[in-house]
Amino acid sequence: MTENNFALFPNSLKKQGDDSLLIVWNDGHQGILGWKHLRGNCPCATCRDERDKPANPFHILKPSELVQPAPTSLVPVGHYAYRIVWNDGHDSGIYTLESLRNLCQCQECIEKKTTT
Amino acid sequence: MQPQATMPKLSLPNIRTIIAVASGKGGVGKSTVSANLALALAASGNKVGLLDADIYGPSMPTMMGINGVIDQATTPLPLDRHGLKIMSMGFLVPPTQAVIWRGPMVHRALTQFLTDLDWGVLDYLVIDLPPGTGDAQLTLTQTVPLNGSVIVTTPQEVSMIDARKGIEMFKQVRVPILGIIENMSYFVGDDGKRYEIFRHGGGAKLAQEYTVPFLGEIPIDPKVAESGDEGLPIILKHPENPVSKAYMALAKTVISELGTMVAPKELPKLEL
Repeated sequence: MTENNFALFPNSLKKQGDDSLLIVWNDGHQGILGWKHLRGNCPCATCRDERDKPANPFHILKPSELVQPAPTSLVPVGHYAYRIVWNDGHDSGIYTLESLRNLCQCQECIEKKTTT
Repeated sequence: MQPQATMPKLSLPNIRTIIAVASGKGGVGKSTVSANLALALAASGNKVGLLDADIYGPSMPTMMGINGVIDQATTPLPLDRHGLKIMSMGFLVPPTQAVIWRGPMVHRALTQFLTDLDWGVLDYLVIDLPPGTGDAQLTLTQTVPLNGSVIVTTPQEVSMIDARKGIEMFKQVRVPILGIIENMSYFVGDDGKRYEIFRHGGGAKLAQEYTVPFLGEIPIDPKVAESGDEGLPIILKHPENPVSKAYMALAKTVISELGTMVAPKELPKLEL
């Protein structure tokens, strides 16, 4: 059953202040993810599509876009992901554990990303 | 991999073990394997349920000899047949009627089959998944506490291509893979010779490729199709047939693999 050793696993999730999430992983890594960063990288099809479009210079901000993104709930999905329900009503993004690790904004991960 | 709707994890405390039988490709014998595996588990003294999760093309009514729509006023679902508790979309919709549904309806139907029916206390629930990696698979992997999956393939490369997709899906959603079974592995002719009609060894090769157990080979025999069409799976109709013996061995291996597995850990929650 070697392939069933799903190595990467979060030991705990905690709010860090009002604007970020702290994930303590089973390898000891302490990941920091800003809510704004997570909302901006929502993996749902609609948000991905929006990100792939060229920037609209005439984009008019909706009232919901002016609110600082924050989650209203963070629900485990199976054994592999979390679904985040945001304060703007958006709830279709499923963040796999791998994607949460890849989106990490801790100093160590940012340095790794800039060197690669 | 997106949800169709809000999907809380279902609580199924009366069902001890849930096994999904899957393959990427259609026509490899998933329903035959599911039915015979469920019966083999029951023959070992277990209480077993069988859920046909193929909403668009249910095969279980024919295979289990249950024809026509069930009158729920007189016959409660899931049905008791051959010692199993069985549920299928085919009990609700006439065989000539197509179910033309989008994903959210498939999700709703499967969720209802699991939560609104009285399955009683089960040692095993075998779920016969439809081909592919679509809505039914997503619903079940996201909402049902699956203990493991069995991947069915036939020996040739064209089947293995899709089986790989099924394996990758289970890996991605962290459902343990109990192993791979090679169906229609070979045919033994009247001359006693072994004929490898669809080539041979694909299942074992795939198991090696993904470092998962190879659960065995099921030979091809016209009696399998005959029995299925008559509504009496081969394991009941011809228990001494090598195919039936292969299914009994498969059930033992599945039980043994489940015994060695560590249950997946629940993800920690965040209180906001």
